[in-house]
Amino acid sequence: MADIKLKIKKKLDFPLEADSITPDNFAGKTVAEIKKLPLYYATKKVTIGDFFDVSGKSTEVANTKIIIDGDLSNVKRIGEKMTGGEIEINSAVGMHVGNHMSGGKIVVNGNADDWAGAMLQGGELEINGDAGHYVGSAYRGYWQGMKNGIIKVKGKVGVESMLWAKSSKPANKWPTLYCGSAESFLGIHNHGGTIVVEGDVDRCAGADQAWGNIVIKGKVSRLLPSYKKVGEVKEVQLPNGEVIKGKFIEYSGDHTIKKETNGRLYIAV
Amino acid sequence: MSLDNLILLTGRTISQGVALEGGKASRENVRAAGICTFDADDFKKLDCLVGTPVKVITDYGEVVVYSTITEEGPHQGIIFIPMGPWANQLVNPSSQGCGTPTYKGMKAKVEVVKSGKVIGAIELIGRLKEA
Amino acid sequence: MVEKIRTVKDVSCPFCGTLCDDLEIDVNIKTDLVVEVRNGCQIGTKKYFSSNPSDHRYMKPLIKVNGEHKEVSWDEALDKAADILVNAQRPLLYGFSSTECEAQSKGVELAEILNALLDNTASVCHGPSLLAIQDVGASLATLGEIKNRADTIIFWGSNPVHAHPRHLSRYSDFIRGYFRTDGRNDRNIIVVDPRNTHTAQIADKYIKVNPSEDYELIQAIRAILRGNELDVKEVSGVPIDDIKELVEELKSCNFGVVFFGMGLTQSLAHHRNVDTAIRLVAELNDYTKFLLIPMRGHYNVAGANQVFTWNTGYPYSIDFSRGFPRYNPGEFSSVELLLRDEVDAALIVASDPGSNFPAASVKNLFKHPLISIEPHKTPTSAFADVILPAAIAGIECEGTAYRMDGVPLRLRKVKDAPGETLSDKEILERLIEKVKEKMGE
Repeated sequence: MADIKLKIKKKLDFPLEADSITPDNFAGKTVAEIKKLPLYYATKKVTIGDFFDVSGKSTEVANTKIIIDGDLSNVKRIGEKMTGGEIEINSAVGMHVGNHMSGGKIVVNGNADDWAGAMLQGGELEINGDAGHYVGSAYRGYWQGMKNGIIKVKGKVGVESMLWAKSSKPANKWPTLYCGSAESFLGIHNHGGTIVVEGDVDRCAGADQAWGNIVIKGKVSRLLPSYKKVGEVKEVQLPNGEVIKGKFIEYSGDHTIKKETNGRLYIAV
Repeated sequence: MSLDNLILLTGRTISQGVALEGGKASRENVRAAGICTFDADDFKKLDCLVGTPVKVITDYGEVVVYSTITEEGPHQGIIFIPMGPWANQLVNPSSQGCGTPTYKGMKAKVEVVKSGKVIGAIELIGRLKEA
Repeated sequence: MVEKIRTVKDVSCPFCGTLCDDLEIDVNIKTDLVVEVRNGCQIGTKKYFSSNPSDHRYMKPLIKVNGEHKEVSWDEALDKAADILVNAQRPLLYGFSSTECEAQSKGVELAEILNALLDNTASVCHGPSLLAIQDVGASLATLGEIKNRADTIIFWGSNPVHAHPRHLSRYSDFIRGYFRTDGRNDRNIIVVDPRNTHTAQIADKYIKVNPSEDYELIQAIRAILRGNELDVKEVSGVPIDDIKELVEELKSCNFGVVFFGMGLTQSLAHHRNVDTAIRLVAELNDYTKFLLIPMRGHYNVAGANQVFTWNTGYPYSIDFSRGFPRYNPGEFSSVELLLRDEVDAALIVASDPGSNFPAASVKNLFKHPLISIEPHKTPTSAFADVILPAAIAGIECEGTAYRMDGVPLRLRKVKDAPGETLSDKEILERLIEKVKEKMGE
């Protein structure tokens, strides 16, 4: 793996939009060329070199790894639309990290702000902290959001995570979210996404789910009245092939959408 | 002389609408929007006269307003403060990512204040400038 | 001695989203003061009277010098305002809901020139309704349709007796309609609210819902409508039998409407409360005719959404920083931006965030230069660095406003603008000229 190291060298009073920071954009470029790539700060167009110290070498996309240090909590859109390679972010990171990503891997060693992994089409996003609202969700006005890929959040995800997620059995695409705990409306408008929560979730999990699987190993603050108990299971078989062992109560829903539904929510006994 | 475990709602009243058009710096505005409306039974527990200033406290701030009994009850456990500068010391500024703050539904508690003045809108908001 | 009076009829009231168009205003010809208002509600009437010069009406431009507001010329005030905007790195243009459409259009133009953030009061009000409509659509109607046809009217999280005082008399409750010839007696009014509001007290049915739990109640209604038997005995404080009874009532009416307000948009779940309400209305159309209308608060916030959308593609919370409009409520919403302290100057037009924004965001608003285009002294203008005194649209200048149901109505001019006040549109035009000059265009 060829590494490119970035370190932010200015304090930010406004958000910095860094959608040019992707392995795709860095692949095959020299450090000097990378420094000239555009960033957007408040209303000004600036360059990577204006805000970051850059060192290292790049190679082709799949083997390019970008390591970013410094305080990135207000740096938005890192990894946007990337198709391969890796990004390692050693800080909390701003909004939209990994949005529209279709391949490769991003690891955030800190918290992520809202819209992490929005519209994910593939690849892997790992957040070793909490994430904000709308993790792996669709952007405003889109009725299909995350279609493939895996998001892992060690801590808590905010509201409406996996909004409008859509899977595809023929294409073997199973968008999946693993998280420590979740705020309200987890999996709202779910169309086949898979969600596994290690801990507790807040109200309205699975709201308006058309179909999909939500597995909750902790407690639910309030289950939707439109979900109905089906029975008890000793394990949950997920469509991506994974099996979750443990005793769960199986619920069907959301019955606001259909009288009979394949949508499922599992809550640990 | 305090009440716990209340839920605070905020919103429009016609008097507050009239007062805001009549002059936001006026005493009329204080009387219309610098108030907290209680359910009749809840108010009895406070053991004070109608109009006594009370301090309302939420996780987001506190403010002293005049107490009054609701005409829109019963609503045990709910207090209502008309929208405006006094209510906005108490509301939840978070929008959970959608942009609109959560102006209704905050957990609140209320204390009768021995000596407290309900200050006017300009002075109240002016304190945000100094701070 | 009888004073000479000029009467203006068919005046559109510039207060709330009901936009009543039948006001009559008497103006004293000699003094140009409003002397009588007929047909308006208490609030609209007060607005006309408060346009008369008073100690809280601005007559001349003001600039803050050493903590005091000092009267200056228009040229000086506009120059200072333009300086503030041009030198800001991330200015916010906010408000626009209490003015007419041409002024709103100028606001868009100015935001584009400055690459600024642009937002209107929907951001703290019915923004969630717009978000929900963008996700699941909406079966809307005009108020005239409701007046003439609706026999079942639901007010959900809305209290028109207080917030839209003549709504019930003109459109939704007491008035006789073409198919509702017996007025109130031909209608079934249902109110859903945590409090037994004055509107609930004159309704046929009042459903007391737990605060912040409307979403679950609507989900239960929808699931029962689908033919499901639910596992629960009550939802959100409402017994399951009451919910089933309500479902039958809604299915069997001739023409239903849901009017909804801040009870849905400003409570937890925000736009998802509206999302599920919209879906319920759509699903009821399997059985009967059902529509919904948001109870817009300001008389022209719907207009601001229209004008912003025609020009940029988006109704509110817009960012021009990368040279083209982008939309993302939450990220580009005024309150959130202020809470994160990401704005370094603000131009507030025809609105009062000082009074209406949460305190923590107002604190940050006041940290930076503030320009207020405003007729009256408010908790926003009182702390502005530059005050540009405005003539009041709908009283002192004409224009177009959009009612809550999207119907455009013409605002009338009943008297001249007092003192040195100018219309919002003219102020923004002059400001645009100054800004262009300073930016070297």
